[in-house]
Amino acid sequence: MAIFIRIEPSSSVPIYRQIIDQIKYQVVTGVLKEGDRVPSVRDLAAKLAVNQNTILKVYNELCRENVLKIERGDGTYVSSNKRSMPVVERKKAVANVLREAAVQAIHLEISIEQAKELLEKEYKIIKSAKNKTE
Amino acid sequence: MPTNAIEIKDLRFFYGREEVLKGVNLQVPEGSIFGFLGRNGAGKTTTIKLLLGLLKPKAGTCRVRQIDPQEDEIAVRRLVGYMAEDQQMYGWMRIEQIVKWVESFYPAWDDKVTNQLLDMLELPLKSKVKTLSKGQNSRLALLLALGHRPEVVILDDPTLGLDPIARKDFLRHVIDLLQSNGVTVFFSSHLLYEIEPVADHIAILDKGVIIKTGKTDQLRENIRKFILIPKPGNDFGRISGLLDVVKAGNSVSLTVEDCDDAKLTIIKQMANNSVQETALNLDEIFEAYVIGNRGKSGSV
Repeated sequence: MAIFIRIEPSSSVPIYRQIIDQIKYQVVTGVLKEGDRVPSVRDLAAKLAVNQNTILKVYNELCRENVLKIERGDGTYVSSNKRSMPVVERKKAVANVLREAAVQAIHLEISIEQAKELLEKEYKIIKSAKNKTE
Repeated sequence: MPTNAIEIKDLRFFYGREEVLKGVNLQVPEGSIFGFLGRNGAGKTTTIKLLLGLLKPKAGTCRVRQIDPQEDEIAVRRLVGYMAEDQQMYGWMRIEQIVKWVESFYPAWDDKVTNQLLDMLELPLKSKVKTLSKGQNSRLALLLALGHRPEVVILDDPTLGLDPIARKDFLRHVIDLLQSNGVTVFFSSHLLYEIEPVADHIAILDKGVIIKTGKTDQLRENIRKFILIPKPGNDFGRISGLLDVVKAGNSVSLTVEDCDDAKLTIIKQMANNSVQETALNLDEIFEAYVIGNRGKSGSV
């Protein structure tokens, strides 16, 4: 299964983080579906012109978060079970991302109600994208 | 037991009276893709020529797989695949001729690998070297460096003059052909953003000295940038690991290496407001190391 990933070399976001974010996005929008096989470390590294250790780090991190799972000697797949991380941990991960959004919102004088509305809208866009791909 | 494919100890070299390498120390781990980064004139090519025994050092040593190029240059050349900066090749030769010609220097030349490479790198056998594009030229130079199946590959600014697509294509080959087979790759560049995706280790050479070396992913994690409005009379110089101080209006940005909580506390005490942290991209990190303003005592 081919996956599309775009790396922005001049970004302040580290490359392994860019790849993780894009794979996660493709999983939540349903572009990558449960049970889909992702490319091998070697193939993805060659395709993106990225060091194999970086891809290995990405896959390990995504397995730890249960987005992917490695079948021994068979390959890496999109996982079906996403809830092995305790809810406290999952909330913490989301809070980290939302903090940045909150700072930006306050700077630009977006009220908390407006921000909630925006978050709901983003949720809906992703969910409807997922429904279309199903 | 991890060992080093390349070891350089206190290497010094002069061109005339000018000291271009002022005691370079470097370890390149076996199997790594090692990015050797520096501005033009930092001494990268000189270091590489010393590694191959093409120049004689004033002091210090280098070893490639434990072999000293000053003692046995031929042994090093047989071990290493080398691609020179802007490599010149005889324009009148056809690709098939130049391959045969280079092959004659290497007892361990592998025809099967060469044919695979010719195919993979899409090099037209019958074309003359002078008719090749820059990208084809680089791929041919790579092929000539790899035909004897070296375990250590040294590439001197291999993507110089390539357009972004040819550059990515070249780096893709480096990863797929070399890293996959456990080959150590030591390559120089002046473009940090180019090195970052490909290299697992990095060294920054500046004015003849290595100013930073380590794993690539740690480079980003170890350096942070803060923006604050300082209280009067601060001595930023007492922040250890300070790389760059820039004043803009009444606020100041500080770029700090190895920033732990203790350092952050010191920085917070210097501020008249809350300290903002901003992300750095790699070019900014490179700049901070190479041309950073370390801050004179108490002033900016």
